[in-house]
Amino acid sequence: MRALWATVRNAFAEVLAKPRALAAQMAVMMINDFVWVVFWVLFFDRVGTLGGWDRDSIILLQAVLTTAGGLSLGLFANARRIGAMAVGGDLDAVLALPVAPLPFVLLRRIEPVNLGDLAFGVGLFAVACHPTPGRTLVFVLVVLASTILLTGFLVLTGALAFFIGRSESGELGFHAMLLLGAYPVDLFAGAIRILLFTVVPAAFVSAVPARLVDDFEAGRAVALGSAAAVFAIAAAATFTLGLRRYTSGSIWTRA
Amino acid sequence: MTHRAVVEAVRAAAHRSASDGGGLVVSVAFYVVIVGTLSGLWRVAVDANGGDLAGYSAVALTWYIITSEAAIVSVNARHIEDIGTDIAHGTVAVEMLRPASVLGIRMATEVGRGLPKVVVLWGAGAVVATVVAGAPPRPAALLLAAPSLVLAITANLFAQHTVAAIAFWIRDAGSVWFLYLKAVFITGGMIIPMELLPDGLQTASLFMPFRAMAYVPARLAAGYWEPALLLEQVFWIAVLAVVANAAFGAGERRLQVVGG
Repeated sequence: MRALWATVRNAFAEVLAKPRALAAQMAVMMINDFVWVVFWVLFFDRVGTLGGWDRDSIILLQAVLTTAGGLSLGLFANARRIGAMAVGGDLDAVLALPVAPLPFVLLRRIEPVNLGDLAFGVGLFAVACHPTPGRTLVFVLVVLASTILLTGFLVLTGALAFFIGRSESGELGFHAMLLLGAYPVDLFAGAIRILLFTVVPAAFVSAVPARLVDDFEAGRAVALGSAAAVFAIAAAATFTLGLRRYTSGSIWTRA
Repeated sequence: MTHRAVVEAVRAAAHRSASDGGGLVVSVAFYVVIVGTLSGLWRVAVDANGGDLAGYSAVALTWYIITSEAAIVSVNARHIEDIGTDIAHGTVAVEMLRPASVLGIRMATEVGRGLPKVVVLWGAGAVVATVVAGAPPRPAALLLAAPSLVLAITANLFAQHTVAAIAFWIRDAGSVWFLYLKAVFITGGMIIPMELLPDGLQTASLFMPFRAMAYVPARLAAGYWEPALLLEQVFWIAVLAVVANAAFGAGERRLQVVGG
């Protein structure tokens, strides 16, 4: 545990070593997130309420998505690089350390750009999502569940590279999740809706958590918690099994 | 720079791009997911508003989205960053040794690279649109949309080179592409038609080049027979070409003086 804590401290120290670069990268991502919010505001101002979603609820969805995305992609930055690391032989140095490989890999690197997501999401919730103590508590809990689910999904799709020998699955999973997670799930029907709750569980990353903040429902909360647990366990199992198939790249520098 | 060098650069890049089967498959898969989702959103919105949004039907908006996305996705989104890296790492300095315009050859190469992509993506989009929404609202307008897509790519690439030229001075255009793409998103009409923007933003976008990169071909594909839009694209290409040429010219002179 101490080793992992030291790893986190080192990762933060690396990022904070260049404060101006950190600020610039965070600012760029915050502008990016702001443009998406502008789009959704324009959209719902024009079309009114759709499938129970309106301007306020979509802003809440964006707050959940950017906060969870910021935590997952910012603090566990290697989650989306698992596939490339597996294929590129970048895990050699990790396997020689006296720590559990997956937690170490996840905590090893922080992505400054995505800390902008985190800051934007928290700020958006504070400014535009009516943060009462109760709503804030639910927001924190659902964001944590969403972060676990998103990180689990990224590790799972990335770890498939151990078995198929190519890393595209992780990158496609990442893009699909973030793209689909930005949309209100109730606007979709049929196969796409099933897809959003299962294979690419984007609904559980943003729409379901956002609904819980607005209207807490125990059944929905259990579903979210279960989905997060399932993907976390599946990710850890797939990564561990995949490591048995891992072949060294004789690379000792980039982990 | 000879006409032949440009033609050869376009031809070679187009051949390379068309030969990259794996890359095209990944691009098409990503594009289909995007247009499937975004056009689905707009169809729901149109249906909820009595079948019409600012003159667009559900079918028209579907064709709008598959075209605007094809125009943008067929160009490397991070091209600004790549050009900046090439400037900072000395690649451009080496290219200056050739007896040809650096900007000219780069533009020809990128346009050539984008052509097979836009053909494949737009084709895939047409299949998606026909299946999920219906046939194009006015098939004849596609005859205008096709050349408009090529002009859109050209305008986009000139603009990217113009923006990337700042790397001659600041050495890092890293994150600028993010902001550029977001400008195209809204004021270029990539994900929302201009007619749905608030009046002020709509007026402001008239004075920006971004709508030449996505909105114009998309509007035409949505069934609006408006040939004047092609002239608007040509105008912006001319403006951007002059500015990009001036920026690269100044940047190259700076490289000659202070080194790459």
